[in-house]
Amino acid sequence: MAVSEQPPGPGLTNWLSEKLFHNYIWRSIFRSGYPSTPRNQMLVVATNVFLHLHPTRLHKTHVRITHTYCLGGITFFFFLSLTVTGVMLMFYYVPAADRAFQDVAALETNIRFGMLMRNLHRWMAHGMVISVFLHMMRVFYTGSYKPPREFNWLVGVILLTLTLALSFTGYLLPWDQLSIWAVTVGMNMAGTVPVMGQQQQLLLLGGFEVGDAALIRFYTLHVIGLPLIAAIFMAVHFWRIRRDGGLARPL
Amino acid sequence: MAVNAQAVSSEASATRPRREREQELLVWPDLVFVEFIAAMVFTFMFVLLSTMLDAPLLNQANLDITPNPSKAAWYLVALQELLLHMHPALGGVIAPTIGLAIIGAFPYIDRSNDGQGTWFGTPNAVKIILFSGAFASIFTVALILYDQGRHVNVITNVVQRSDKDWQWPGKLAPFQNVRSIQTGWEWSIPVPVSAQLGPGEHDGELNWPDDFTHVPMPFNGTSGPDWMRWGPPTFLPAWMQAMYWYDLNMNTPAFVVELFIPVAIMVILPVIMILMMRKLGWIHTMRDGSIGIFTGMMAVYFILTIIGAGFRGAGQDLVMPWDVPHID
Repeated sequence: MAVSEQPPGPGLTNWLSEKLFHNYIWRSIFRSGYPSTPRNQMLVVATNVFLHLHPTRLHKTHVRITHTYCLGGITFFFFLSLTVTGVMLMFYYVPAADRAFQDVAALETNIRFGMLMRNLHRWMAHGMVISVFLHMMRVFYTGSYKPPREFNWLVGVILLTLTLALSFTGYLLPWDQLSIWAVTVGMNMAGTVPVMGQQQQLLLLGGFEVGDAALIRFYTLHVIGLPLIAAIFMAVHFWRIRRDGGLARPL
Repeated sequence: MAVNAQAVSSEASATRPRREREQELLVWPDLVFVEFIAAMVFTFMFVLLSTMLDAPLLNQANLDITPNPSKAAWYLVALQELLLHMHPALGGVIAPTIGLAIIGAFPYIDRSNDGQGTWFGTPNAVKIILFSGAFASIFTVALILYDQGRHVNVITNVVQRSDKDWQWPGKLAPFQNVRSIQTGWEWSIPVPVSAQLGPGEHDGELNWPDDFTHVPMPFNGTSGPDWMRWGPPTFLPAWMQAMYWYDLNMNTPAFVVELFIPVAIMVILPVIMILMMRKLGWIHTMRDGSIGIFTGMMAVYFILTIIGAGFRGAGQDLVMPWDVPHID
């Protein structure tokens, strides 16, 4: 896309910005010029795959912090950060009953920044559950589920469930007394589902108690299955915000 | 023929006024920078938190050693708490699923567009939130204390100051907690011997809880009066026989204690709460009612989480937080 620019004014900064942001390589990557003019600011949002989740303009109430408290954004930020720290943890972790605990213990003692990564992953996971709850309460109390956003609220409820499932499957992975018993308690609850309970429990555990088979199932769900499903629903969630006219605001 | 896509959207959404340009901001920089700052703040906050506070790691998993208490993850502790008071399928699965379904259904119940995008939105919202939050919290705590038999301890302590030998009277045995309706209560109703149900003594009486544990479902083969006993449905294929109610008895005392009373409480209390706020003149619309129900549900979840995580010690006994044993 050809973008016409005003000629640069005099001065060193203008010369520098011209050299840095208006050259052939920059243009090949970003298409638009440096976002210093309204035109470029809109173009950068519209032509960037990540930024184009946003509209190019929005109503001024939407940037007021008390309108949203950024809670949905913070939840998404937690999801991204958890992906990064989770990938780091995957380098050192083998989901086998005889290794998992040692691997996690080694993260804490033998691996540089291993403890920090594990702590970050743990606390951000709790943070994500909390921010998802708070986001739901924000959306409810601001009446933002009202037409035409009914379906997006439903997608949000599914994402809440997925967040809990992600957290629950991750809970088992350290393979310590806390994790195995928390999951045993949780799975016993799942086992009481009328009609399907036992089968569902068997499906998730791969056996009659929390063991090797359960660990590999929880691991697979935690690192690829559920994140993939959550990412799909997130894409729908964000897409629908745009389609339904942006954030809710007084009519 | 061209299809008007707007025609399928609801009228309310179609009548939205056009946005005025002067009230708009550019996403870059006004929103993108706010998002960037929020991301930075949270990154620094959590890096700082993670350098100060280590994630827990107990001893290696061992299914032969059961920690007491063993607790679910904190966001499921509320359900674990429910399990103590009702049938596990009801507390652990059915009630939370219905709760989630109700949350999901709010936009389909409250369909008006009034007050969208503004905090609380209706004139009485704050009053409704405070009332339903307090109502739900107080009743949740009271019900847990009742089911834990705390009123028995309190009353016994008070009365024993004047009468040292006083004990909770046998007549009030069923009121020690919900379960004691099943275990601490015995009564009977006279019936003709021919109509006697249950496998117990056919003494012309139906005894609670003995005889009531065997109330036969229709087409029962093993218990109940002759007119109710049918042979097994051998004329059906085997897989259909397996689905048949043949030989099924209903344990009425357990049904009452584990299912009927909890369901009744979970239905009646919210209804009373809504009716009270209607009487007070606070609830006029579906939005008002939804706020009340949603707040009540959140309050119950919150209280159950606090009690389950902080106040449940060995054997899931109700103790003060400092008496909850440390697990390692």
